[in-house]
Amino acid sequence: MRIVLAEDSVLFREGLTRLLLEGGHDVIAAVGDADELRKAVDHDVPDIAIIDVRMPPTRTDDGARAARELRVAHPGLPMLLLSQHIEIEHSVELVASGGFGYLLKDRVLDVTDFLDAVRWIAAGGSALDPEVVQALLAPTRSGDVITTLSEREREVLELVAQGRTNAAIASQLTLAERTVETHMRAIFQKLRLPDTREEHRRVLAVLAFVRSRST
Amino acid sequence: MTAERAPRRLVVATAAGVCCFLFSVGISALVTFGSARARGESDFLAATIVLVPSIVLGVLVTWQVPANPVGAALTWLAAAPAAVAAVEDWGSSLLSAHPWPGATAMFVLKQGFWVWNLAGFGALCMLFPDGRSASVRLRRLPVYGVVAAVLLNAVVSLDPRSHLVDGVSRAGYALHVPTAVSNAALIVTSVAYLAVFGSTVASVIVRYRRGDEVVRLQLRWLILTAGLVPVLLGGGWIIGLYGVPVQIWGVAFMAVMLLAVPVAVAIAVLRYDLYDVDRLLGSSLAWALTSVVSAGVFAVAIYAIGDVIGAGSRIGVTGAAFLTALLLLPLQPRLHDSAGRLVDRERAVMLAAVDAFVTQVRDGEAAPEQVETVLRAVLHDDDLQLLLCAPGGVDYRNMRGAPTEPTGPHQVPLRSGDVNVGVIILSSGSRRRLRQAADIARRARLPIEVARLQLELRVAVEQVTASRARLVAASATERHRLERDLHDGAQQQLVALGMRLRSLQGRLDPDAETTRELDAAVGALQETVHELRSLAHGLRPPRLTEGIARGLRELVRNSPVPVALTVPDVTLPEVVLTNVYFVVAECLANALKHGHAHAIEIHLAESDGRLTVKVRDDGVGGASDGFGLTSVRDRIAALGGSVELHSPPGAGTCVLVRL
Repeated sequence: MRIVLAEDSVLFREGLTRLLLEGGHDVIAAVGDADELRKAVDHDVPDIAIIDVRMPPTRTDDGARAARELRVAHPGLPMLLLSQHIEIEHSVELVASGGFGYLLKDRVLDVTDFLDAVRWIAAGGSALDPEVVQALLAPTRSGDVITTLSEREREVLELVAQGRTNAAIASQLTLAERTVETHMRAIFQKLRLPDTREEHRRVLAVLAFVRSRST
Repeated sequence: MTAERAPRRLVVATAAGVCCFLFSVGISALVTFGSARARGESDFLAATIVLVPSIVLGVLVTWQVPANPVGAALTWLAAAPAAVAAVEDWGSSLLSAHPWPGATAMFVLKQGFWVWNLAGFGALCMLFPDGRSASVRLRRLPVYGVVAAVLLNAVVSLDPRSHLVDGVSRAGYALHVPTAVSNAALIVTSVAYLAVFGSTVASVIVRYRRGDEVVRLQLRWLILTAGLVPVLLGGGWIIGLYGVPVQIWGVAFMAVMLLAVPVAVAIAVLRYDLYDVDRLLGSSLAWALTSVVSAGVFAVAIYAIGDVIGAGSRIGVTGAAFLTALLLLPLQPRLHDSAGRLVDRERAVMLAAVDAFVTQVRDGEAAPEQVETVLRAVLHDDDLQLLLCAPGGVDYRNMRGAPTEPTGPHQVPLRSGDVNVGVIILSSGSRRRLRQAADIARRARLPIEVARLQLELRVAVEQVTASRARLVAASATERHRLERDLHDGAQQQLVALGMRLRSLQGRLDPDAETTRELDAAVGALQETVHELRSLAHGLRPPRLTEGIARGLRELVRNSPVPVALTVPDVTLPEVVLTNVYFVVAECLANALKHGHAHAIEIHLAESDGRLTVKVRDDGVGGASDGFGLTSVRDRIAALGGSVELHSPPGAGTCVLVRL
């Protein structure tokens, strides 16, 4: 895959570049701030852009803002945001259209999972960090659509949000893959999601509770 | 007329006065000591000696202040009477055995020549103290004066009746007109002359009324002595009508005009504030009154005691002295006060106003800080400043507490023993004003001292508040910096290190022992990164960067009970942002932990730059200022806000924070 990497820490940028190269990917540009990121993507649209949330020039959420702009400029471009901490607000808008991921930086140390997520996102899937998902799934309000889900369904949705396939979920929860599929159907029903393409519905499911949690 | 030439003209005028004086005295001397002998030597000597001080003072004043015409006027104050005397002596020689040449003309001239006696005095009155006329209308007064004097001189000199000596006319120059006409002319010219003289005196009063403090002080001297001149002149004329020899008033008149006036003027001009007329007068009066009263008491006592135990007894004298002292001890200050009130009414009024204020302060009807306003009103000085020196400090502060350097020439230092209390700065002032201010400040010592202590207290509290706010702000900034450093520094580096390890691991045999150890190492690194993240979160939640609303929404997201959150999207300064967040977090934790709440309501509102934060729960209530709330109070107080706690037992808790 052809990847553009935007990360201001040289150490982290080089480490990640090496991991991606070793994973068989091609890092076509590794930049240090939001402006360079926009230029790099405009110049040569990659298969996926991996973006640090906190970057120069303001060192607040320049990366997230650049990602939102890129989504408008290049609607189909898959993007993976990396952050030092959980910032749910950043994920809400972007997760809706699929091909979007949001992970804590230290997830890159679980190399295999990380590369899987990158591939999954590049293919149009969504991947949210387990910590983000957990924060989103914690019940706070009655009447919340999430409260209608059973414990098991919630566990499944959690893994869906992390970008796992049904097979991966089945093995993680030691269930039959058919059971996972049954749970998925129940979830789609309870969240009142329209009967469309499977991948799209999974994204919508994740989006449904992200929306329900962050307003 | 340029400023350069004005003094030269005045010096010339002074010199002319001196020459005229010397010439006139020379003529009088020749007449007196020559064969003509018009008057006695002692008369001549006395008259001359009386004139000398004026001449000397005139020269001195011109020397000291050449731009001031008063010096020239002073020399002419003496030169004019000397000239009059010379003309009179010259004319009188007609009656002697050896008349001088032109004696007859001089005899005629001298009959009305006395009118010029007042020339110097009139000039002095018109020009004193700064050489300018009191008003435009009075500028032509000297011309009218000269015209009136010439006319009166002519009418008197040309009246045949004045030429009679022992019933015989001694001169041929006379206008023989009906008596009624000459009387009318005499009355008209006399009235004109008196009118000019009256206007001259009036001009002094006009100048006094319009003048500033210094001018008034200078004029006070002149009015005091010169005021006697018209009185003596008019008195003399009245006495003259009753046939009393003119000599008596003439001497008094001349003495006042030629001795007292120049002395008063010289003092006023050279050192206008050298002696304070009012105080001298007041003290003298008090001294005189005390003496009179004590003498009276003594006399009565002697008389009464002598009546009882026999006159001349030593016991009687001692007893009388004792009684006098006993009675006078309490009486003396009162006498002094009433004399002071009588003479210096202004001072008495001022002190009464200050006393009234001090009483109001004592009764709690007025604030001590108003003392500056009161001093301004009492001293009629709107720009007066009272600067106070903080106890133990050396720098001055104004009544609003701002450090102020005392400037300007009119300063009255305030001391209490050896301690420097402060300073009063007047916008204008003579010695008299400065002393008045000092007197008043002494009376107002109590409010000044209290104001000074309150000022000190206020300054101290302001400093403590400011330093506390600085500390809290510094702590907020430091937290923010630490949080950023942890995220961008340590955390990033640890992850980068982990990636290098993973990279190395990729090149190893997956089943090797080293691979498993690297797994463990990376696992430990991940744990550390996780811990650092929690630590940084505790220092300052990263979501606060996106505003208080985001921060609080994240905070309540993890709450196990429903939280109703109302937060406007306001932008707050970093220090307020962090502190409001931690205060809400503290209240939330309290509600959950101690209040066992089932529902919590958080309400934030901002209007007119004021922020209100309300955290209410439906828990058990009964909360009191424990450690948690104390820290809330400290944080909020440091930001200049307040915290209210309503927590009746069993009815929930409500914490209201205002910023």
